[in-house]
Amino acid sequence: MDVTRQRALIHDEEHFARALARAAAGAVIFAFPLLMTMEMWELGFYMDRFRLALFMLVTLPVLFGLSYYSGFEETFCWQDDLIDALTAFGIGFLVSAALLTVFGITMADQPLSEVVGKIALQSVPASIGAMLARKQLGGRDGPDQERRQSSSYAGELFLMMVGALFVGFNVAPTEEMVLIAYKMTPWHTVALAFLSLGLLHVFVYTVGFAGQESRGEDTFRSVFLRFTVAGYGVALLVSFYLLWTFERMGGLSAMELVTSMVVLGFPAALGAATARLIV
Amino acid sequence: MVEAARRDRDDARARSGAGPASVSWLAWIASGIGLLLFVGSVGILGYEGLFRGDGDPVIVLSVDGVTHDGQRWHARIRAENTGGSAAARARVAGQLLSDGAVVETAEVEFDYIPAGSTQRGGLYFDRDPAAHDLRLRVLGYSDP
Repeated sequence: MDVTRQRALIHDEEHFARALARAAAGAVIFAFPLLMTMEMWELGFYMDRFRLALFMLVTLPVLFGLSYYSGFEETFCWQDDLIDALTAFGIGFLVSAALLTVFGITMADQPLSEVVGKIALQSVPASIGAMLARKQLGGRDGPDQERRQSSSYAGELFLMMVGALFVGFNVAPTEEMVLIAYKMTPWHTVALAFLSLGLLHVFVYTVGFAGQESRGEDTFRSVFLRFTVAGYGVALLVSFYLLWTFERMGGLSAMELVTSMVVLGFPAALGAATARLIV
Repeated sequence: MVEAARRDRDDARARSGAGPASVSWLAWIASGIGLLLFVGSVGILGYEGLFRGDGDPVIVLSVDGVTHDGQRWHARIRAENTGGSAAARARVAGQLLSDGAVVETAEVEFDYIPAGSTQRGGLYFDRDPAAHDLRLRVLGYSDP
């Protein structure tokens, strides 16, 4: 471990304070659409407490992994990543609490469980936003850039998972997800699944975006199977988990459940495709 | 440029300095607060999940006061959910009774009454509720 560089950056209060401010800005920018979404406030008090607690427990390793690959400041060892993950969570929580209070959504006369539930749910996207701030808000790319570019296949899938989670989360709480699923016939579902798959492939591996994955020497078939199909699988799994967490699958038949997964899988696939651009 | 210069300076300081590399006090405080908030909220949610169960909503209604706004009588009511789960679209009816017969009915719907919380609303009547028996009833609700 390069102790000298770690000392130089993490030890420096001024640098860390700037990173904190940037993270708070990222939390506000990424989380305000959800902070202003009615379903999120309602989910905060009625969703199952265990599912919400589990959701938060899942968030911490996601933040840890994001800190490794990107993060709001450069990190050099796992202790740094842990510190940054906890800091990002704290920032996300406080930003959510402050904005929900300003909006008049959380009030002093509400029961503790309701207030904590509302803020805790919002702190998930806000803390991911805080973590992504560095990449998004003009932080220079340091050594993490190399780390991202040389990330393993598992790392690629992790980044796709985070992208799918983050983008899927933005629409998963809305009632429109299930409503769209009700309106679609099985043929619509098949069409949407192919459209998602096609876009996922085109976005990352064909269109020349900055930060795109280089196809290198791999053949089309290899890339399609290893990344596009796997990425769509990740997107569908994330959709399933989000629908379960937000209690959107109660009373759905198997067909409606699959349709809802494909519907939410569309934004999730776009998130997975653009993960390399955001993260 | 400034950043690079500062890093070089810090590198130099770090190389000459003795003792193990330590994390800034600001980073310790920030991550400590984060840890506290994380453990606290997961703890509260877990505690609620374990000990408050998923009982049915129990909606208790009461009248806060009655005023006359110049045209109609306005009864302020409150609905408190003392049960274990939230009620959505809870409909509340207020009936004015005279000698056991209903002479007037007013209705209101609460979007949500979360478990443990109190929601407020109002019912309008043409007759003075104080001169009659005012009976409040929950007509029904749906699960969120």
